[in-house]
Amino acid sequence: MTRRQQIANILVAVAMAAGFAWLCVTIFGRIGNRTNWAKAWEYRESLWAGWKLTLVLSLASLLGSVVFGMLFLLGQRSPLPVIRKTCRGFLEFVRDTPLLVHLLFGYFVIFAPLLSRPLAGWGLEDKIIIGGLLLSLFGGAYLGEILRGGVDSIPKTQWDSARAVGFNPVQVYRYVIFPQALRRVLPAIAGLFVSLIKDSSLLSVIGVSEYFYNTKNFISRSYAGLEGYLPLAIGYLILTLPVAWLSHWLEKRFRDET
Amino acid sequence: MKLEVDRVTKRYGATTALDELSLNLASARVLVLIGPSGGGKSTLLRLLGGLETADAGTVQVNEHRLVANPAALQAYRRQNGFLFQAFNLFPHLSARRNITLPLEKVHGHPPAKARELAEQALGRFGLLKHAEKLPAQLSGGQQQRVGIARAVAFSPEILFLDEPTSALDPEMTAEVLELIQELAEAGQDIILSTHEMGFARAVADQVAFVAAGKIEECRPPAELFEAPASAICQRFLSKVMRY
Repeated sequence: MTRRQQIANILVAVAMAAGFAWLCVTIFGRIGNRTNWAKAWEYRESLWAGWKLTLVLSLASLLGSVVFGMLFLLGQRSPLPVIRKTCRGFLEFVRDTPLLVHLLFGYFVIFAPLLSRPLAGWGLEDKIIIGGLLLSLFGGAYLGEILRGGVDSIPKTQWDSARAVGFNPVQVYRYVIFPQALRRVLPAIAGLFVSLIKDSSLLSVIGVSEYFYNTKNFISRSYAGLEGYLPLAIGYLILTLPVAWLSHWLEKRFRDET
Repeated sequence: MKLEVDRVTKRYGATTALDELSLNLASARVLVLIGPSGGGKSTLLRLLGGLETADAGTVQVNEHRLVANPAALQAYRRQNGFLFQAFNLFPHLSARRNITLPLEKVHGHPPAKARELAEQALGRFGLLKHAEKLPAQLSGGQQQRVGIARAVAFSPEILFLDEPTSALDPEMTAEVLELIQELAEAGQDIILSTHEMGFARAVADQVAFVAAGKIEECRPPAELFEAPASAICQRFLSKVMRY
């Protein structure tokens, strides 16, 4: 940085800090005497239970999306055109319609009529199971595309070399293609995982009592504002930041390697 | 080695890479394919190496009849070594691991034995000090030498080399060619395609001139280079030997 840029940098930093401070003072000036953190404390158990469910749903849908993502990847590389075309059609549908529509349609039209009764019979909460399944399918559709892009980006000589040393098709993927493809698509996968965690909040529309749903409940019952929204934002950051950090770290490590 | 290629045709879309090509060699140690680019050298090599299958015609290498059966072709490839122009090595693995991984997973050697074989192969070509480096940390010539070390680490029946020096500068070319000559002198059966005519002449006991998907002639190097029979081969040689 030149000296002029340094000075400009400091001036802009001061201006931005001043702007932010003004915004905070104005907002807190209006609502300051009306915040009541005791109310949030009263609802702590419901909020905590909601956060834990969000955590479980996020982890489950991450795993589920990996399973579906692999299936969609294999489906798209299948030698049978009917499987390839069906996969492409499904992925296109998922990518071109809103997640909210999948959740409402998937739950109320497809899965609830099919699964609600047997799941209830086993003592399971159908909304959570179906919600997790729908989220996994959604994530899997994107992951399948990401993985396909990664696999397609590996140059032909690598496939040739892998076959030439005598690897069988499974070994070609396992030892040569996937390790290289995953490095290339890692940032995209991390981005998808962060999105999945955030998108789990949409499960509130089918009545899954996860973190967003319980916070909204608390806010509407107690007329809370900041006391509800601030922990809501922080709660999601606690889940997403580690994923983001992990991906930056892995990205850096792999970049140094090659 | 013994080769019997009978009226083989191979097409890629509208392009005919091999056009009823035939080649019969009762015995050869080092077969060198020369000819213009796009003439079918690489395709013939890939076919003989079991990486492609013919659309028509038959291919027999020693006692192996090469047919379009993925499992049989894979078993055939396991016995041979293959080296391409460039990017042979797996870039995410060290030079040593590039050699030990196939030894373990394809040839079923325990890790200690695989390591020992890799050491031998690397040591033989003076590459031991580069064993832990990733391909990106090696020069092009070193990468090709590690590639050859990988290909010969399990004593292959035939070593296939597809223009192994085309992507290298003259100095690196020399170090790779030296190594190939050393292998040839040690008795390794080799089939290679190259544009290095001097090298072809020095190392081959049979030279095949491949153009337009056919073998125009296949003879010992002294005969072929001294007195090419076909007009197309004469033209090619007079062009490439001019400078």
